[in-house]
Amino acid sequence: MARSKLIKERVPTPEVPVEERVKSFVEVNLGYDFASAVKEAERCIQCPPEYAPCIKGCPVHINIPGFIKALRENSENPDEAVKNALRVIWNDNTLPAVTGRVCPQEEQCEAPCVMGKVGDPINIGKLERFVADYARKHGIDEELLKEFISEENGIKGKVAVVGSGPAGLTCAGELAKMGYKVTIFEALHKPGGVLIYGIPEFRLPKEILDKEIAKLHELGVEIKLDHIVGKTVTLEELLEEYDAVFIGTGAGTPKLLNIPGILLDRIYTANEFLTRINLMKAYKFPEYDEPISIGKKTIVIGAGNTAMDAARSALRMGSEVTIAYRRGREDMTARIEEIKHAEEEGVKFEFFLNPVEFIGDENGKVKAVKFEKMRPLEERDAKGKRKIVGTGEYITLEADTVIIAIGLEPNKIISEEATGLKTNPDGTLVVDENLMTSIPGVFAGGDAIRGEATVILAMGDGKKAAKAIDEYIQKKRLPA
Amino acid sequence: MYEILEKREIAANNVLYKIHAPHIARKVQPGQFVVVRAFENGERIPLTPVMWDAEEGWITLVTFIRGRTTLRMNMELQEGDKILNIAGPLGNPAPMKKFGKILAIGMITGIVEVYPIAKAWQEIGNEVITLHIVPEPMIILKEDLEKAVSKHIVESFPLKEGMGMPEIFKELVTRGQAKVRELIEKEKPDLVFMVGPARGQKAIFDVVKEYGIPMEVDLHPIMVDGTGMCGACRVTVGGEVKFACVDGPSFNAYEVNWEELIARSEFYADLEKKALEDYLTKLQQGGAQ
Repeated sequence: MARSKLIKERVPTPEVPVEERVKSFVEVNLGYDFASAVKEAERCIQCPPEYAPCIKGCPVHINIPGFIKALRENSENPDEAVKNALRVIWNDNTLPAVTGRVCPQEEQCEAPCVMGKVGDPINIGKLERFVADYARKHGIDEELLKEFISEENGIKGKVAVVGSGPAGLTCAGELAKMGYKVTIFEALHKPGGVLIYGIPEFRLPKEILDKEIAKLHELGVEIKLDHIVGKTVTLEELLEEYDAVFIGTGAGTPKLLNIPGILLDRIYTANEFLTRINLMKAYKFPEYDEPISIGKKTIVIGAGNTAMDAARSALRMGSEVTIAYRRGREDMTARIEEIKHAEEEGVKFEFFLNPVEFIGDENGKVKAVKFEKMRPLEERDAKGKRKIVGTGEYITLEADTVIIAIGLEPNKIISEEATGLKTNPDGTLVVDENLMTSIPGVFAGGDAIRGEATVILAMGDGKKAAKAIDEYIQKKRLPA
Repeated sequence: MYEILEKREIAANNVLYKIHAPHIARKVQPGQFVVVRAFENGERIPLTPVMWDAEEGWITLVTFIRGRTTLRMNMELQEGDKILNIAGPLGNPAPMKKFGKILAIGMITGIVEVYPIAKAWQEIGNEVITLHIVPEPMIILKEDLEKAVSKHIVESFPLKEGMGMPEIFKELVTRGQAKVRELIEKEKPDLVFMVGPARGQKAIFDVVKEYGIPMEVDLHPIMVDGTGMCGACRVTVGGEVKFACVDGPSFNAYEVNWEELIARSEFYADLEKKALEDYLTKLQQGGAQ
């Protein structure tokens, strides 16, 4: 069937108007309906899977042209179309409602999309999200889940997964599909890792996340909450009971600025600020018990996704918000879509400012931040960013709330307890090409081995480790 | 979910919960704490296991009713009910060394945290003197401590009509300081250890400092997760920023930046008051669920 002509522009997805959305934590992007999803799907030129650059760009290698084809093949029967598309996606990714929302598609699957060379790349993320959302709303995912529940569940062995963030959830889901009995150990009172405490409702509604995780329960995965591996149970004890262990503990320890005034009132790390808001729902205080204290003028330090999430959350709590970044606009690491949303919502940006001191009032509350003005050099650092130097000029900006979002590093609890676990100087775990750590049978992935990276890279690691764990256990079982 | 096996008011405003929590009972050591979330819309609060039995799988926690969550727990949780989340054990265990003669001080409900540590120190061969500085109606663990350590002293006073928190606190500090001075001169301890409100710890430290005796304190800054991922509990110790939940809770009193710690512990005073008022209003209207 010959197509008449290429449609260069993507079918847009509706968004909640700015005036409305800044007053609440409702999801900003409303996603496609079936008709517009099919229309967007029609734009795909269907590269063969063995070549398709989009598949290569996806860290878990979803058969993208495959699920898009399934959507448009059944354009008369939405339920059937979605069921077939979801089956293709689930083969490689058990959390599509999450990844369709939070992946930086512009750097992953959508970056190499051939259509992007002549117009807009296919809106893969939003199509993936549509499939997952439609399936959930129409009960299709429950129907399909039965196909994926392994009859051998628990027969092939027992695996412990430490941490229920994207890496751990993915690893658990893949292993369960293969027939393993999986138990996840989570320190907090809710599973999801950064998906539950870090990413706000306006990007990833928690109800959707809960449903994605509920699927894992149906696949036979058990989640033990309130269990801090290294304290509640040791790695050694896990190895006695399980055939293998996967560590997906992330990078959850906030970096602090080592400058005067860091302990003043209303200076938060982004992790504390976002945990109070997302996990503890402090924005609903006093309906919820957790308090949060935010003033009229907030400065967020940093320009990654965490900084955008914190800035947009503070804005929704009624504060004026400025993002202060030590480099320039083009050096920001946040997703383009989130920077755009932040700007639309009224977050202000100040570039080339490096904080040197927090200034407090007589009550110990922060009242201003002193910055040194920076300037960029031609030279680039190891990550390809322009280097910066101080100019010796200073500027002081008023602020009654400060949120520090300058990065995270791995939590030390598990590596301090399990001394056999080799770590790099930055605290990340040392792994081989199969993601196995220095302790045989213990694998690791995600931010625990990479430092702060992305949700989808963590999921890619979880999937790769699941394969390696399967091979490791099978080999161990072989008669000598 | 963790069942409340027993609940009783052991003194005015002090409620003991005996809870089935085998994962904690199996692992907890003196000096460690847990983080409790009792209700679906509740906050996470740090509490200390006072006693535990690894075989039977229970721990006891004692709350001092001082705000919304502790009051709510008392009003809404009865024996047989379940607590949603108890995470732990968290923090570092107290060092189990032979220090010699130890003066271990608990102010008000702080004594519940002193109990397991003092008992363990005594058991490994230290001579432990415990001191409980407290208003009379709130005396707790008296018999238990008398059994566990060399000498247990209660420095208490009756509550008089119209005594508000500031007056009570002043009394605690004045009497506490005098008693500690007396004990230091008489007993000449090798180590002083104290648990209590930050202001109370600072007041006692001011006395101990005069004698140059080593002093350890368990700090109680505001905590959210208790696992080192947010930094709400950060304190300056020896000029360095530390997270009390993973680097503590025990620190050298001589290295703590007290002014900062006291200021930080009072950040949420207004909101805490609002939360309590909100709950009291609901109680009045009969809809506190």
